[in-house]
Amino acid sequence: MIYDIRHVTSYSYESPVSYSRCSLRLEPRSGDGQQLVSHTVEIRPRPADRTVRHDFFGTHTESIVIETSHRSLRIDSRSRVSVSRRVPARDAPSRPWEEVRDVAFESTSLGPESPIGYVFVSPLVPVQQPVTAYASLSFPKGAGILAGAVDLMHRIRTEFRYDPKATVISTPLEEVFEKRHGVCQDFAHVMIAGLRGLGLPAAYVSGYLRTIPPPGKPRLQGADATHAWVALWCGEGLGWIGFDPTNDILVENDHIVLAVGRDFSDVSPVDGIIVGSRKQKLAVAVDVLLVE
Amino acid sequence: MAGRDGRESIGASSQGTRVRPGNRRVAQWARDYVRLPGIPDEYIGQDGAPRAVWTRFFEAFASLSPADIERRFGAADRHLREAGVTYRAPGETADRLWPLSHLPLLIDEADWQQLTAGIVQRAELLELVLNDLYGEGRLVAEGAIPAAAIAGSTEYLRSVCGVKPPGGRYLSIYAADVGRGPDGRWWVLGDRTQAPSGAGYALENRLVLSRAFTSLYKSMNVERVATFFEAFRDSLRASADRDEPRIGLLTPGTFSETYFEHATLARYLGFLLVEGDDLAVSGDRIHIRTVAGLKRLDVLLRRVDSNSLDPLELDASSQLGVPGLIDVIRKNGVVMANMPGSGVMEARALLGFLPSLSERFLGEDLKMPHIATWWCGQKAAREEVLARLDEFAIEGAYGRGVPGFGRGPILAAELSASERERLKTAISDRGIDYVGQELVRLSTTPVWDNGHITPRPFVLRVFAAATADGWTIMPGGFCRIADQPDARAVSMGDGARAADVWVVSDKAVSTATLLPGVDTVRIRRIAGVVPSRAADNLFWLGRYLERAEATLRLLRALGMQRDAGKGSPTVLPAMERVQRLLVIWGAASQTSRAHPSKVVAEALQSEEKFGSALSLVRSAQRTATSLRERLSPDAWQVITEMSERLAREVEDDDGVLIAAELTLQELASFAGLAQENMNRAAGWRFLEMGRRAERAINTARFARQFAYDEAVSEDLDILLTLVDCQITYRSRYLVGPLLAPVRDLVVLDPYNPRSVAFQVSALNDHIASLPTLKEGGLIERPQRLAVALQAMLTTTEAASLDTKTLFALEQDLLTLADAIGSHYFPHGPNASRPEKLTGLA
Repeated sequence: MIYDIRHVTSYSYESPVSYSRCSLRLEPRSGDGQQLVSHTVEIRPRPADRTVRHDFFGTHTESIVIETSHRSLRIDSRSRVSVSRRVPARDAPSRPWEEVRDVAFESTSLGPESPIGYVFVSPLVPVQQPVTAYASLSFPKGAGILAGAVDLMHRIRTEFRYDPKATVISTPLEEVFEKRHGVCQDFAHVMIAGLRGLGLPAAYVSGYLRTIPPPGKPRLQGADATHAWVALWCGEGLGWIGFDPTNDILVENDHIVLAVGRDFSDVSPVDGIIVGSRKQKLAVAVDVLLVE
Repeated sequence: MAGRDGRESIGASSQGTRVRPGNRRVAQWARDYVRLPGIPDEYIGQDGAPRAVWTRFFEAFASLSPADIERRFGAADRHLREAGVTYRAPGETADRLWPLSHLPLLIDEADWQQLTAGIVQRAELLELVLNDLYGEGRLVAEGAIPAAAIAGSTEYLRSVCGVKPPGGRYLSIYAADVGRGPDGRWWVLGDRTQAPSGAGYALENRLVLSRAFTSLYKSMNVERVATFFEAFRDSLRASADRDEPRIGLLTPGTFSETYFEHATLARYLGFLLVEGDDLAVSGDRIHIRTVAGLKRLDVLLRRVDSNSLDPLELDASSQLGVPGLIDVIRKNGVVMANMPGSGVMEARALLGFLPSLSERFLGEDLKMPHIATWWCGQKAAREEVLARLDEFAIEGAYGRGVPGFGRGPILAAELSASERERLKTAISDRGIDYVGQELVRLSTTPVWDNGHITPRPFVLRVFAAATADGWTIMPGGFCRIADQPDARAVSMGDGARAADVWVVSDKAVSTATLLPGVDTVRIRRIAGVVPSRAADNLFWLGRYLERAEATLRLLRALGMQRDAGKGSPTVLPAMERVQRLLVIWGAASQTSRAHPSKVVAEALQSEEKFGSALSLVRSAQRTATSLRERLSPDAWQVITEMSERLAREVEDDDGVLIAAELTLQELASFAGLAQENMNRAAGWRFLEMGRRAERAINTARFARQFAYDEAVSEDLDILLTLVDCQITYRSRYLVGPLLAPVRDLVVLDPYNPRSVAFQVSALNDHIASLPTLKEGGLIERPQRLAVALQAMLTTTEAASLDTKTLFALEQDLLTLADAIGSHYFPHGPNASRPEKLTGLA
C-alpha cells in the first residue's frame, strides 16, 4: 500500500515571539515493512538555521531556530510511504512470556533495537504496582506472550473510555489509570507501564492511521490526528510487534510509523521553546490518503 | 573485650611517667571512651592502643583549659552562624545551621596514601568505562557489563551516545564515599560521578576549625586543601579552547539543598554563579546574559542533574536547564564538568563488575575494595540474595530508592511477614531493579560530648579532580558523623553532623600556596561580567534596604513626636500624614490609626504587613541569598543581624525606638561596607542604582506629602527630620522652616546627598558608565529619562515648585526605575523566560 500523508502543525501566538527553537520528528522511518518514498517539510516563517541528525532511536530529527519576530508558526510536512507488513494472527502460538522476559534481561546490546532499553521506567511511564497487577491478569503463568498482550490490549480497549477532552499531555499515568479514560497516547502509556511492570520490553510508537477505512470496515479512532500505539518485543523469532490498544488491533498496513521511543517524550513530532509569548494556540491537521 | 583492653593499656602507659594535668585529662578521656562492640575505631586501634596521631592531637588539645576549649567551640559555632553556613534537609524549606562536630577526623599520612591510591585508580577506571559506554560500546557488546545494568539508570543519557565530551573528559571531579570496614581497611561505599557535593562544605569546615584552633592546627602538620582547589580550577581553565576562559557554576537556585555550597565554591574558585535562566544558546555556543549583552561561556561546572539540563532534549518539564544545551555539547561548544550522563557510574548494579573491568583496562586488581554487592539482574546473584535475604541490605540497583519500597536500604529482617513476601516477589520478578549489599558496620570516630569523647560511626567523602598530570586528591574531605550506631544511611538530614578531616603528616607541611609563575598571569582590573540576574538582585537589594530605611525614619518620627508632643495638638495633622504614609506603604493597618503606638510597632516588626521594616529587611535578605558569592561575609552578617533584631519581640514603646535606631545604624554600616569593600566592577553600581532610585522616589514622595502648597512649619519640620536635613537647614537659614528654602534643600540642591537632585545626578553617572546594548549610537531609554530629569532639576527654581510638579516628579522617577529594570534585567515583568511549545497528542 502506498500512502500520501499531509501533516500540518500551526501555532498562533498572542504576542510576537522573538525566538523559537524546535525539534521536528516528522519524517516517517523506513524499515519493518515500511519504506519512505519522499518527504518534504515547509516551515513559515523561514528558519535561520536548520540542522538534521538521527537521534539515538534512529529518528530523523530536524532542529530549527527562528530568530525573526513572528506571531504564527506553520510546519507543513508531506510524505509518501509504502507499507507492507506481515503480522501473525491474534491467536498464533508464541513463547511463554517469562521466557521472553528472561531473554530480554540477558541482552548484550544497548542499541535502539535492543529490548533492554524498553523494560525500565522512562520519563512519562512509571512502573507502578496497581498497573502491573492489572496487566498481570492477562499474563497467567506460562501464557504465550502474544496471547497475553492481545488480551491486555483488548481489556484496555473495552475497559477504558476514549475521551479527547479528559486528558492533556501532562496528565499523569496514575490519573489515566484510575479514571480509566484518555486518548491513544494515554492508552499506549498504560499498556507500556503494565508490560514493563512484568519485565516485558514495550516501546512507544507515534505515527498515522489511514483516514478512510477499507470498504466495509469502520473508521478507526484517531485517524484525523497523529496516532500512538505500542510495540512489544515478543522474543527473537517474532521480534517487535505493534499493538494498537485504542482500536484493539494488531498493527498491519493501516498504520504508518513515524518514530519509536520509550514514551511520548522521545518521539514528540514537534517540540520546542519560544521566547516572547505566554499564550499559544495549536492546531494539527492530518490527512492520510491511500494512493494505491 | 577489646575496648576494655584498650582502656587498661592506656592507663598502664601513663603510669610511672611524670603526669602533666593535660595528660591526666587525656587519660581520663580515653578511659571514658567506650568503643562499640565488634566495631573498629579511629582513635583506638585494633590492638587496643590509641593511635599515635590521635594521642598527639589529644595531648595538644588537653593543653587548653576546659574553659578555653568551650570558648573556642563557641567561636567556631558563632562563625558558622554569622557566616550563614547553611544546608537544607530534603523536603524542608527553611535553612538549617551547619552542625559541625568540634573534633576533626584525623587520618595518618601513611593510611591516607593507601586510600589515595585506591581513589585515583578508581577514578581512572570509571573514566575509561564511561568512554567505552558512550563511545565504542565494546564492554556491553562483549558481555563485560550486562546491558541491563546500564539501561536501568536514568543517568544513561541516550542523547549523548556517540558524542565526544568537549574538553576530552567525562569526569573532571569525582568523589567516593568511603568508610573503614571491620577488617580495618578503607572500603568504597558508593561512587559520586554526576555532580558530587560537599567540597565547599569541607572548605568551610576547614576554615572554621583552623581559625578556632590556630596553634593546634599548625602544630599538627595538617595537609592544606587549597592546592587541591587550585589544581581543579587550573584544570577546568585548561580544558577550554581559549586563554582566559569564562567559567560558570550552574546551580539549581536558592531553593537547592546545597545552595550555600554553590555560592561558596563560586566565590572561592572565582567562577560565575549562574542559573539556567542566565544562560542562552546562540550560534553553537552557550552565553551568559549580562548587563553588557550576551557573553560567551567556555566551561560549565554543573550542580544540576543531567536530566534537568535541557528541556528540549531531556526532561521537558525542567526549568533549571538551558534549551539547546545538549546540541551545543554535540557541537563541542561548551566544556561540561562533569559531562552529562556521567552519573550512570553511580549505579550500584555496576559495583560487582568493577573488579574484572579493572583487570581488563588497567591490568591490576582494585586497590581498594567496595562494599560487596550482588546485582539481582543475574540469576546466580538473585538466587543467593533470595536464599539469605536477611543477611543483606536491599537497595535499588540504580540509585533512586528501592522500587516499590521507598528509601533504602531495606532490611528484610525488619519487615513484616507480608512485606517480606512482597520484597521476595519483587526481586524474583524484576531482579534487575535490586541489589543486595553486605551489611557492614563502619568504624567510629570520637565526637565531643560535654567534656567527654564518645565514638560515632561516620562516612567520609573523598574528592578527586582530573588534571593534566592525572588525578589529584583533596587531602581531607567531607565527613558526616551519624547520631545512630548504623552509619550506612548518614545524610545531613538525619541529625548527623559534619567534621573537618585532617590528614596529618609527621613532617611540617608546605604552607605556601602554589602561585602561578609571573609570566602566566595577565594583569586584569575588570572582575569579569555581571549576569543580568545578579544585577537585578543587587538593584532590588539596594531598593529594599533604602525603603526599609525610609520606613524606619517614618516610624521613628512618629514615635518621637508621640512622646514629645503629649498635650500639644498642633502636631497632630503632620503625624496623621506620617501614619497615612505608613498605611499606604503597607507597613501598618488602617485600623491601627487611632493608636500611634500600634502603628509604630506594626511598621517596625509586623510579620503580616509586607511594608514593615521586618518584611523589607527579610526581602532584602532573600535577595541577598542569591547574591551570596558577591557579598562580603561582613555585609551578609549585617543583614542577618538586622533581620534577627527586628524579629525579636520588643517590650515597650522605648524598645521599639531603640530597635529602630539600632537598625538604622546597621543600615548605615551596610552602606559603608558596600561603599568601601565592593569592587566597582562587580555589580556595586547596581546596588547603588537601586539605593539611589529608591531614595529619589521616597524623597520626592516626602516632599509632596510634607512640603505641599499649604504646608505649615510642623510639616516642614517633619520633612527635614525624615530626610536628615535639620542641621544643614539650620546652618543655612536662621529662620524656622519655610516652604521654598525647604523645597530647594530637599529636592533641588545638588550638594545635599539626601536631595532628589543628588540621587538623579548619581543615577546619571552610573547609567553613563554602563555599556550600551544596542549599536547605532542612539541614546538608550534609561539614559534619556535620567538626563531629562537632571536637566529639569538643574534648571528649576524652588519658587516654581508646587504640589503638582512634585507629584509629576515622583511619577517620572518611578518610570525611570522601571526603565532601568526592563533595560538591564530580562527577568522583570516582561520576562524572556522560554516557554514550552504545547505538544501534540
